[in-house]
Amino acid sequence: MADTMATAGAGSSGTRSGGKQSTNPADNYHLARRRTLQVVVSSLLTEAGFESAEKASVETLTEMLQSYISEIGRSAKSYCEHTARTQPTLSDIVVTLVEMGFNVDTLPAYAKRSQRMVITAPPVTNQPVTPKALTAGQNRPHPPHIPSHFPEFPDPHTYIKTPTYREPVSDYQILREKAASQRRDVERALTRFMAKTGETQSLFKDDVSTFPLIAARPFTIPYLTALLPSELEMQQMEETDSSEQDEQTDTENLPLHISTDDSGAEKENTSVLQQNSSLTGSRNGEESLIDNPYLRPVKKPKIRRKKPNPPARLGHFPFCSRACVPFYPIALHSKSKPPNLAFEILCQFIVSFG
Amino acid sequence: MSNGVYVLPSAANGDVKPVVSSTPLVDFLMQLEDYTPTIPDAVTGYYLNRAGFEASDPRIIRLISLAAQKFISDIANDALQHCKMKGTASGSSRSKSKDRKYTLTMEDLTPALSEYGINVKKPHYFT
Repeated sequence: MADTMATAGAGSSGTRSGGKQSTNPADNYHLARRRTLQVVVSSLLTEAGFESAEKASVETLTEMLQSYISEIGRSAKSYCEHTARTQPTLSDIVVTLVEMGFNVDTLPAYAKRSQRMVITAPPVTNQPVTPKALTAGQNRPHPPHIPSHFPEFPDPHTYIKTPTYREPVSDYQILREKAASQRRDVERALTRFMAKTGETQSLFKDDVSTFPLIAARPFTIPYLTALLPSELEMQQMEETDSSEQDEQTDTENLPLHISTDDSGAEKENTSVLQQNSSLTGSRNGEESLIDNPYLRPVKKPKIRRKKPNPPARLGHFPFCSRACVPFYPIALHSKSKPPNLAFEILCQFIVSFG
Repeated sequence: MSNGVYVLPSAANGDVKPVVSSTPLVDFLMQLEDYTPTIPDAVTGYYLNRAGFEASDPRIIRLISLAAQKFISDIANDALQHCKMKGTASGSSRSKSKDRKYTLTMEDLTPALSEYGINVKKPHYFT
């Protein structure tokens, strides 16, 4: 504790030495007791016989007095706790004084001797600690097991956390709009990206960059994608089939294979139609639970196979266009030598084409 | 052990009479209510509270303040002896009594404190 007060030194009468107080009220509260100690020291010096004293020596003795009292308190508390108690008793203090080198036997004699001297030093008036301007809210009061001279609890805002956040929007319409706009943005961005990184075709002759179209890659055999079922379809069919009756396990895999026999084509058609109807039947049950049209599962169109032309016994491609058909009978008949050269060229062309 | 004194077994011989003494200050504590020490109870209690000492009995606080007082006054007396020794050692005239001119200075206080094991060194001036 720094004593910033400018005192005139301890007087001979032991009265309180007044001085300029340049400290704020909060410090005064702590310094008031120190000043009392100074007064006490001055009175003790007077009792000893000194007329005056140096300020430094008075300060030294005051500091020693304060340290002595604090040390007695700390040591007595330690001894008390050493024996598993909480309330210090007289024995603790006696042991403390003995440990600090104090002759306890002389204490009663001293007490009687000091009665002769004037007992001064008025008690310290209670100055409460000034409240800070930044307090927010009420501090928690002390629980009963905490003594009253302990410091107060801190302001509640220092340890209470109240998270501030906005409730997330759960309105279906808004969410739906958001999802739709996000999806549109994603699609647009993706198509633009593909147009910029891949090949493009343009609608306008002179302006290439305004509306780029992603260049279409024609497949060599255009009808191949129509023949082969997609992965998704295969998965769906397998899932629904596994959850359905086991009677149709044999015929399930048939529609997935390309039919090779015409005679079996009709059987497959009916089985496929049966399969589709059963699938749709199962899906109808699901659809009844979900009202929302956006949430219904996608219905793929039923695979309808037309009856293939009986004269066209081609073997592999019943979907072949009829353009190929008339060529073969002509080629078959080419065994006889055609008299016409043009006809020969035509036959060769047909063979290379077929 | 109830009296706080360890009685030697050789005392049974009768040669040595054991000294039975209770806790020294129990009786004194009763008388303490009459004496009020110089240090107020509030001040001593404040410093004891800061050290963690919660006094259940106000007389204990007075006992501690009295002990602290005695500590300081012992040092003051020693310093006074030093001051008197310095005064009379130089052989001043006896007519002039120095009793009223004692001033506590650091030169007297330092050796007095060193006997207690407290070494203080204060600068004489600040530059």
